[in-house]
Amino acid sequence: MSIGELFSLLITDHTIRTVAFGTAILGVVSGALGAFAVLRRQALLGDALSHAALPGVALAFMLTGQKTPAVLMIGAAIVGIMAILLLSAVTRVTRLKEDSVLGIILSVFFGFGLMLLTFLQRNPDARQAGLNTFLFGQAATLLTRDVLTMAAFGLPALVILAIFWKEFKLLSFDREFGSSLGFPMRGLDTALTSLLVVAVVIGLQAVGVVLMSAMLVAPGAAARQWTDRLSHMVLISALFGAIAGVAGALISSLGNGLSTGPVIVIVVSVIVVISLFFAPNRGLFWRRLRIWRNRRRYQAETVLLDFYRMAAQHADATQPHPIAALLAIRPGAQFGLDVLASRDLARPDSEGNWRLTPAGVAEAELLESGFANENGVTE
Amino acid sequence: MKMRFLTSFALSMVVLLSACSTNDQVVDDGRIRVVGTIGQIGNAAEIIGGEHVSVNALMGAGVDPHLYVATESDVSLLSEADIIFYNGLFLEAQMDDVLKQLGQRKTAIPIGEQIDPALLLASPIYEDEHDPHIWFDLELWSIAVAAIRDTYIEFDPANAADYEANAAAYLAEIAELHEIVHEQAARLSADQRVLVTAHDAFSYFGRAYGFEVLGLQGISTQSEASTADVRNLASIIVEREVPAVFIESSVPVRNVEALQEAVAAQGFEVVIGGELFSDAMGSPGTPEGTYLGMVRHNIETIVSALLGE
Amino acid sequence: MSQSSKYPAVEVSDLTVAYQEKPVLWDVDLEVPQGVLMAIVGPNGAGKTTMIKAILGLLTPAAGQISIFGKSYAEQRRLVGYVPQRGSVDWDFPTSVLDVVMMGKYGQLGWIRRPGSAAREAAEEALEKVGMLDYANRQISQLSGGQQQRTFLARALTQDAQIYFMDEPFQGVDATTERAIVDLLKDLRSSGKTVVAVHHDLQTVPEYFDWVMLLNVRRIASGPVPEVFTEDNLRTAYGGRVAFLSANGAAPAKEKA
Repeated sequence: MSIGELFSLLITDHTIRTVAFGTAILGVVSGALGAFAVLRRQALLGDALSHAALPGVALAFMLTGQKTPAVLMIGAAIVGIMAILLLSAVTRVTRLKEDSVLGIILSVFFGFGLMLLTFLQRNPDARQAGLNTFLFGQAATLLTRDVLTMAAFGLPALVILAIFWKEFKLLSFDREFGSSLGFPMRGLDTALTSLLVVAVVIGLQAVGVVLMSAMLVAPGAAARQWTDRLSHMVLISALFGAIAGVAGALISSLGNGLSTGPVIVIVVSVIVVISLFFAPNRGLFWRRLRIWRNRRRYQAETVLLDFYRMAAQHADATQPHPIAALLAIRPGAQFGLDVLASRDLARPDSEGNWRLTPAGVAEAELLESGFANENGVTE
Repeated sequence: MKMRFLTSFALSMVVLLSACSTNDQVVDDGRIRVVGTIGQIGNAAEIIGGEHVSVNALMGAGVDPHLYVATESDVSLLSEADIIFYNGLFLEAQMDDVLKQLGQRKTAIPIGEQIDPALLLASPIYEDEHDPHIWFDLELWSIAVAAIRDTYIEFDPANAADYEANAAAYLAEIAELHEIVHEQAARLSADQRVLVTAHDAFSYFGRAYGFEVLGLQGISTQSEASTADVRNLASIIVEREVPAVFIESSVPVRNVEALQEAVAAQGFEVVIGGELFSDAMGSPGTPEGTYLGMVRHNIETIVSALLGE
Repeated sequence: MSQSSKYPAVEVSDLTVAYQEKPVLWDVDLEVPQGVLMAIVGPNGAGKTTMIKAILGLLTPAAGQISIFGKSYAEQRRLVGYVPQRGSVDWDFPTSVLDVVMMGKYGQLGWIRRPGSAAREAAEEALEKVGMLDYANRQISQLSGGQQQRTFLARALTQDAQIYFMDEPFQGVDATTERAIVDLLKDLRSSGKTVVAVHHDLQTVPEYFDWVMLLNVRRIASGPVPEVFTEDNLRTAYGGRVAFLSANGAAPAKEKA
């Protein structure tokens, strides 16, 4: 199937359209809010929240008997908030550090959730509610009403984020300064973290508890590579999340046996890897390239100057010199000579001699005067 | 303040945990202790064993045997049992190790594997494996039930006569039901006999009674339905103008609802014809809570829905 | 913007702050008159940063009263500017210098309102005063230590405060920046503002500041520099670890605070 046909399915096929819509919403919300989580170093918190959601879903079902996603999601959200409160209580009362407490909360809540699921496997209604699918998600069977529920939770979260943008920016950058200005930083912190809970809860149906943390962290981490402005970062993060969601939905529709949730996570991971390597400025690839270019230039200039100083002792600086002489001064000169040759600053002849070209001489003189002026090397 | 919060949290956890009750106790009253996995097996084991046995079925109403994980209390029940009956053929996929290990120490019979493999349907995915949902072909199930009788006789020869008699009566009922199902199916014309369900549990049913069977998920509910599955199945439904699809008691309803939406988007309306019992029987005490009742319920539901009643 | 000229800029009494039952500040009194440049000095762990934070309401003291121009900090927020320690933020945060400086206006903007052109102008003015206007659009991760410090200062300037609290404003800055900051502080003083700064370099106290407080969990002494900045007081504050300070204020060794 060609790419074009694949995309046209987005428009024509109901199932793919619905699933893609749902995963796009998931991507946008988790991308936008996850960007803040990344900046506030809350990746582990996001992971803990999504794992803590599992008992929330099970308990919501046990207490209300309802199978509708909205109810289960509210249950997940409530337990998520409980986890946050437990985190701050335990860190304050004991001497444990935040990451230890989060690790404990993550495992204990998740284990408790698994225990509840095992307990519920005898319950026929529980089977029908599909509680097990919250582990890894089942995006392929997102119904229209599921997508509407996701939007109903997600859109207000984004709106709140937009309204309190400057407050959240202040919270993330310089919490104490914000406090001194009179903003209730503790409340804002809880609010922003609660929005994170909403993002987690939205994604549970599609990608499940185990994979959700990837959707929170990856788009933000990737987006950071491309921009130095917070607003851009959040937008790009949302965009990356949406792309991963839609691409995941499309790719998994290609064959039987491709689960949508994991495919989405793979796509977003690819985006991260590409961003890490190829983003302008921060990308590792460009950094390596810059380093390599600088080294090349440095070696060439060093060899050029060596050559020049040796050659300038003669009347004609463009006289040929045997390569052995150059190598005697600097054993690694070959590389530099090749670079000079490629820039036509020096030329070899058939007998293994090298000579500076007039251009090479001029360049060398420029370099020399540059050193003399202590102005740094000019290109 | 914080300590109080922590203590009340811990207390509520303890209360919650203790509320998770254990299962049925092991009864030691001189009767043979039998443990079955799925309800259908427990049902048969009870009837054939009569007053000589006390039977526990691990998986009750609505339980999905493909996903069921044995709990501590299950394992203790199994270790106390004199005889264990299970389906085999990888139906109880998560319990395979446990059951095989127990088979080395005591009588643990996979009754599905007592059937001649030539009679079984191959699994569409794994070449060496078979489709385990044998109980919907009543003739095949009779063979499995006979294996239960034979196990009892070997274990407890003294009461052989009772086992023979119970089994004969039960098998006769099954044979009678077999005919009824044929009759009911005959009310549908050949191209009306398309059965669309949540997972591929009905292949034996289809082969035995002439239905074309299509499941959204594969043979095991462990595999997730993909959008391709939903799409393809929706197209078939629209093409063949299938009037009804069926949910199953042990599989999430949402999957079939997604199928319904996909079909509706193509302009065709397909109703949910009813709930079928696929891997699990109905609640105990109801007619569907027995094997015979479940089979009867299924065929009646299928036929009336496909006839558009 | 009420400001009664008969009240001292800052008045602290019986301030006690404990962290896990260990006292960080014990029964500290302090009076800062208006219009002075005051340094708070003391050894490591003396509670200097804690003092600032307690005054600004960033932590809850176990005991004590604090007033700014006679009223509580919460009432007088608009009169206070704050320059936190440079290391208290992550400078890799995606934002520009101008953006950070405009944060100083957030208090006046209140909830939800975004900084507009007025805030922007004020920020640019402040940047001009610290000599950083050319860096307005630069990403803060590209700044040197001195530039970071000046950014924070500019931010505080936009707060249009009457009293400024600074936490180690000279820490890790180059000589040029240091001179610039000192000039700025002296300008502030000439316009009648008050500055209280935690300072790490004993050597420069007499040169930069006119008042000083010696702190080591307890208040050792506070008052005008010539009166208070004596060898005896320093010895008490630093527990005898002070290198000698000659009467002219020139000391061969610099004490690390």
